[in-house]
Amino acid sequence: MKFAKYAALVVCMVPVVNCGQSPLLEKLGGPATKAEAVRYLYPEQVVVAAGKTTDVALHFRIADGMHINSHTPKYDFLIPTALSFPASSGVALDAANYPTGTEFVLPADPSTKLNVYSGEFTINARITAEPGNHLVQAKLRYQACDQTQCMPPKTINVAMDIVAR
Amino acid sequence: MKRNTLVLGITLFVLAGFAWAGWANWEYRKQAADKVMAATMPPELVIGGDDGPPSPLLNKPAPNFTLEDIHGNKVSLADYKGKAVLINFWATWCAPCKLETPWLVELRNKYAPQGFEILGISAEGDDLKDDDKDGWAKDKAAINKFVQQMKMPYPVLINGDSISKDYGGLDAMPSSFFVDKNGVVVATQTGLTSQSEIAAKIEKSLGAGK
Repeated sequence: MKFAKYAALVVCMVPVVNCGQSPLLEKLGGPATKAEAVRYLYPEQVVVAAGKTTDVALHFRIADGMHINSHTPKYDFLIPTALSFPASSGVALDAANYPTGTEFVLPADPSTKLNVYSGEFTINARITAEPGNHLVQAKLRYQACDQTQCMPPKTINVAMDIVAR
Repeated sequence: MKRNTLVLGITLFVLAGFAWAGWANWEYRKQAADKVMAATMPPELVIGGDDGPPSPLLNKPAPNFTLEDIHGNKVSLADYKGKAVLINFWATWCAPCKLETPWLVELRNKYAPQGFEILGISAEGDDLKDDDKDGWAKDKAAINKFVQQMKMPYPVLINGDSISKDYGGLDAMPSSFFVDKNGVVVATQTGLTSQSEIAAKIEKSLGAGK
């Protein structure tokens, strides 16, 4: 009888419906409403000490097969990746520490070496927040390409709830 | 003992059933997700070249336009009636465009005597706000610098973004439309290919090999 009870318990614990994250969201790299070349991953919420400088690591993912210029591209005609915070958000971006890009060569021109981000990358934002709860829409401006073509420059929202106590 | 064996058997059977249902559910959702991905991925994430879907403009009259060139003169596609024209959309921030332009300069000089011209159209596609005067001034300066560096011998028009809708949205650069002497788009190209491929499309627009 005991065995039957345990068996029933095991059966009830089997997850039938929840088979993990949706494959679509897995491909897109997390919950989102629209596919972009670059997506903000996390954090969604940050708790910091009010008035004190705090480092926050912001994580992003670039779509497969695409790359974006690093913050310091090798040529001045290229648009650098740049993070900004709105002036009146209650949170100041004191500095942004961008990752070092990797070298990328267009197959059609091995002599031109670009400096790009691909896959996942992290920007370390040094912020100072006024006391309170701030729903901040920071911005990331970037310009993405693949091996043969480029997409227009774009600015995406980097939404965060910053709680400063 | 017999009862336990029976319960164990039933339990395993039910577990196997759940496992199968879970797997089937996952497969179903995976296939559904693939369909949704295919339907919703923006065209900008599709690799270019000739592998993508054919342009809706193919074999149709090229939409006419009038734009200013870098000197402030108005230039219309209609001005080139009777000539084969390569409409080449490019942008200053586009590294593949920078590679392609010298090829175009060379091809333009080669085929011009046969009644061929290129209209280079800068479509910065920038998300600058209208009142960002500094940003737009920088864009214009970058276009002029590009034209000088590349020694482009053909008309270079600006504000291609204003006609992007007529030309399919211009989600990626470079984008080219090969127009024959009757004003019909006979070939298109998105992304960097090769000089010989561009030459073949120019010859098609000139009616060679007919």
